[in-house]
Amino acid sequence: MRRKKVCFVGYGSTEYSRKSEEPLLRHYARAIGAALEQTGLKKTDIGGFSVTTQSSPDYSPHVAEQLGLELDWVLNGDYGGAGGVMSIRRAADAIEAGHIDVAVLVGGNSFDKSVTHQRPLEYQRANYVDVYGYGGPNTLMALVQRRHMEQYGTTLEQIGRIAVAQRESARANPQALLREPMTMDDYLKSRMISDPIRLFDCVMPCSGAECVVLASEERARTITDKLVYLLTDAERVHYQVGDMLPDKTTFGIKVVADRLFKEVRREEIDLFEIYDDYPIAVLIQIEDLGYCKKGDGGKFVESRNLSFKGDFPVNTGGGQLSVGQAGLAGGFLHIVEALRQLRGEAGPRQAKKAERALVTGIGWLSYGRNLGTTAGLVMERRS
Amino acid sequence: MAEKNLPKINPIDRPFWQGAAEGKFMLQHCRTCGKLQFFPRAVCTGCFSAELDWTAARGEGKVHSFTWVFVPRNPAFKGEVPICYANVLLDESVIVESRIVGKGVEEIKLGDRVRVVFQDTSDPQIKLPVFELAGRS
Repeated sequence: MRRKKVCFVGYGSTEYSRKSEEPLLRHYARAIGAALEQTGLKKTDIGGFSVTTQSSPDYSPHVAEQLGLELDWVLNGDYGGAGGVMSIRRAADAIEAGHIDVAVLVGGNSFDKSVTHQRPLEYQRANYVDVYGYGGPNTLMALVQRRHMEQYGTTLEQIGRIAVAQRESARANPQALLREPMTMDDYLKSRMISDPIRLFDCVMPCSGAECVVLASEERARTITDKLVYLLTDAERVHYQVGDMLPDKTTFGIKVVADRLFKEVRREEIDLFEIYDDYPIAVLIQIEDLGYCKKGDGGKFVESRNLSFKGDFPVNTGGGQLSVGQAGLAGGFLHIVEALRQLRGEAGPRQAKKAERALVTGIGWLSYGRNLGTTAGLVMERRS
Repeated sequence: MAEKNLPKINPIDRPFWQGAAEGKFMLQHCRTCGKLQFFPRAVCTGCFSAELDWTAARGEGKVHSFTWVFVPRNPAFKGEVPICYANVLLDESVIVESRIVGKGVEEIKLGDRVRVVFQDTSDPQIKLPVFELAGRS
C-alpha cells in the first residue's frame, strides 16, 4: 500500500542516563516537549497519541490522562521491539483516513518504581477515591446523574423509560439474560446502590463474547451480498481533561457527534445502539448527539418510543442493561446488534427501517469528570 | 476482615499527604504556566512542565454533586453506609472527590458550602481529608 498523505515532521529526545529514577511520565513529557518545541506545534495540536508499553492494560489512556492530553485517537503500542514502526503505521492509517492531522508517538523507560507510572489508574483510585469508601463506577455515574437531575430537572421516571423500553426489546431477544417484564414501578422500586443509581440502572455481569469481522469492499463482495459499510467514525479521549471545572453532564460524545454528522445527517439514522452502562449515560448521549438540547434529554425520551418498534429505537436487542455485560464484549454488543438489524437478521425484534445505525462506546470513568474514552460510528447497508 | 483503604503514598503525592497530616489541603501549582491541579501528577496537565510546587487551598468550597453509597467496593466500609461521596468545587476552581461527614449531612443539597476536616486513620502518620457542611449558601 502506497501512502500518499503522511509525512514525518519532527522528533524529540531526552537525555539518557544509566538508571534514572525520575518518573517515566516526566521522560515522556520532556521528549514530547522537545518535539513540540522543534515543530512549533502546541499541545492542543496533538490529535493522536501512542505510547509503547509492555505493562498494564489501558496504558496509553492512563499516560494521556496523566499528561493532560485531550485526543481524537489513542493507541497502545504493545508490539515489543516493533512498537515504534507499528505505531507509526497505525498512526499513518489514522492520518490518511482523516481522523487526525498530528500524531505524537512516544516510548521510554525509567527505573522509577513509583505507582504513578507503573499503574497510574490504580494510583489515582487507591489514593484519591478508594479511601472514601466509594462504590466503583456506580458511584461515579451517580454523581453525573444527580448533577443532571438537579441542573435540568430530569426525573427518575424519564431515566427509567430507557431501562423499561430496552427490557421490552429484550423480551424479543433470545440472547438476553433478563427477559421478564419490567414496569416503571419495578424500576423505581429496585434496590438502591448508589443513590440515585438503583439496581435496574446497573448492568448485570455475565459470561459471553462478541466478534466483528471487517474486510475491504472488494473482499467483502466475495463474502456476502449483505454489504454494511462503515460510513464514518470518530473518537474523543479525555474530553475536558485540562479543565479543573468540567461540565459533568456533557460527554466527549458531543465532539464525536460533530464529526459524525459532517458525513451523515442526523435524520438519516434509523437505529441508535448507544452504549448503556447506565440509562443516564444513554440519555446524556442522546443530548450530546444533538437529537435534543442539552438538558432536554428527559423530555425527549418521554416523547418518543424507544423500543425496536418505536420512532427512536434505542438498543434494539435490550442493550447491556437487559442482555447482560460480558466484560469487554459489552463494547461489541451494540455493533453486533446493529449488524443484525441492518442485515435483516434480528428476527422478532427486527426494526421496520434499518438502513443506517449509529453505534457508540464509552468507558473509563474518570476523576471529577465523566467518561475518559468516547467513540462512535455510523454504518450503512447498501445492496 | 477487610480493612479500610489507606493511600499508597509515592514520591509524587507525598507533599499532599504531608500537608494533610498538618491540616492543609495541598494543590499542585505549575511554576511554568501557573495552573492549579488535583489529583497530584508527575507533570502539569497544562504544559507538561515538571516544575511543580505546592500551595495550600483555603479548604472551602461547595457541593457540586453527591451520591449515597449503599454498596461500597471495599466491604470494610459496610458498617458506615450510606456513605455521602461527593464532588466538591474548591473555591480555587478545582474539582475534588471526597466524602461529606458530620452534622446535617443527611440534609445535604447541591451548592451547600463545605469545609475540609482531617480524619484520623489506622496509620497515625496519615490523616484523610474529608468535608463537613459549613452552613447553607
